Amino acid sequence: MLRVSDVAFGYVPEQTLFKDVSFTIESGEFLAVGGRNGCGKTTITRLLVGLETPRTGRIFYNDTDITGWTPAKRSQYIGYVFQQPDRQMFRPTVAQEVAFGPEQQGYSRAEVKEITAQALERVRLSDKADAYPPLLHRGEKQRVAIASALAMQSEILILDEPTSGQDGTETKELLGLLQSLRKDGLAIVLITHDMEIIASQCSRVLVMGNQTKAFDGSPEELFTKRDDLEALGLERPACVSLSMAVPSLGYCASMEEFTKRMITYKQQGGR
Amino acid sequence: MNATFMPFTKILLTFAVAFWAILFDDPLYLLGLAAFVFVLLLTAGIVKVQGKAVGMLVVFAIILGLVQYVGGGSLDSAYVTALRMLCMTWIFLLLLVSTSLQDLTAALVTQCKIPYAYAFMFTAALRFVPDFVAESKAVQEAQACRGADHSGSFLKRMKSYLYVIQPLLLKSLGRSEMMALALELRGFGNEDHSFVSNVTMRAQDYVVTILLAVITIGFVYLVF
Ligand SMILES: Nc1ncnc2c1ncn2[C@@H]1O[C@H](COP(=O)(O)OP(=O)(O)OP(=O)(O)O)[C@@H](O)[C@H]1O
Ligand SMILES: [Mg+2]
Repeated sequence: MLRVSDVAFGYVPEQTLFKDVSFTIESGEFLAVGGRNGCGKTTITRLLVGLETPRTGRIFYNDTDITGWTPAKRSQYIGYVFQQPDRQMFRPTVAQEVAFGPEQQGYSRAEVKEITAQALERVRLSDKADAYPPLLHRGEKQRVAIASALAMQSEILILDEPTSGQDGTETKELLGLLQSLRKDGLAIVLITHDMEIIASQCSRVLVMGNQTKAFDGSPEELFTKRDDLEALGLERPACVSLSMAVPSLGYCASMEEFTKRMITYKQQGGR
Repeated sequence: MNATFMPFTKILLTFAVAFWAILFDDPLYLLGLAAFVFVLLLTAGIVKVQGKAVGMLVVFAIILGLVQYVGGGSLDSAYVTALRMLCMTWIFLLLLVSTSLQDLTAALVTQCKIPYAYAFMFTAALRFVPDFVAESKAVQEAQACRGADHSGSFLKRMKSYLYVIQPLLLKSLGRSEMMALALELRGFGNEDHSFVSNVTMRAQDYVVTILLAVITIGFVYLVF
């Protein structure tokens, strides 16, 4: 659906942040983007939404070259949730904030209302429709930002570290929401430093490192086959390490899976 | 320039250059002065790190000159206006970039004898500028990602900027309240002040001060 082809970029002329980066994003995919701090994860997503222009290389949406498109034009296909949710809010109520996108897209008043209500329903914020965004707590702000992106009715949703600074319940809820969106056919791109989330939630991982794309494949391959995890700023999640320690147990993507398999393993008399 | 001169010396230099810029009304002299300030910016490394700001001020000066010319001024007066503006804004940039705001406040109060509250307001206002710029960029980007087109006709652009400014004003109101609270908690408004910064003049500062005075007298003599 979205195809990045041989992209190179740098903020300052004499410095290259990364080059030769190519990858695709297909519908229904849950793609994690990982790597060290400052390796360019946020930057690569800024290129996707058009807030930066690649130095070389092109970006395609369903084979249409969108490299020269403005973020506004791309917003019908790609929704974006920024790293700091409170910096992207600019309207006096939650409902108005969410309504901004559909208003810009030229929907009628009734349609805007309908879309806004649906988006708020989706993130379970309908009761906060008239609240003043800066007064919400972090998790709620995050959900307003997601509702705002959903209201764009895009096919790809990009989220920049939405789980950092959130407690366990909020994170779980967010992940549940993302999975249900994915079932509806959205492609999710999630920037994260959380290895457990990568292992348990994502269908594919893209790792940025060494000034280019350092890995692109399944979480299983990343966590079991790569021996340079540490150099890439990653680590093997506990569930994977444990599952690898038990011979013939097989790969476990989460702690729950590990416990479940261990129980059957024991019952079958394995040691 | 950076660590070698005290803020007070830089303030004097700023005023001296501003004074010279007003004193001269020959484009050639002003060009010389602008070149001098540019060399200062260059040696202080500001052209390298703040190249964009340095360039912006040039554009700003040119626009001002154009306005002067279009408004019926002579070509000479347009040059003078633009160059004057350039000298003054560049030297002010030098002062701001090469001096920390704490040092500047300390120098304003202890040496320029400006009441603390005013000096503080001045530097606090300055401190908000970069924040304001960063935040207006963030809001514009957020709006762009949700379909707002910031290009188009002048009128349309102005209207969309209104959307950006409005939330920013709200935000900065909230922030100034927070700052007032933080200040009160930390004893702002007490009579006695001590400063962490040491801004006492050293030998090289006195040399420059005297030099500035001599040059200024020389220029006055030259012009009149
Ligand atoms: N506007 C900018 N101008 C210049 N350099 C920038 C700009 N934005 C980011 N950088 C630099 O580019 C590099 C990559 O930044 P980026 O934000 O993409 O990293 P990241 O992988 O998202 O990091 P993090 O995990 O901390 O969010 C960093 O070294 C950063 O300092
Ligand atoms: Mg980032």
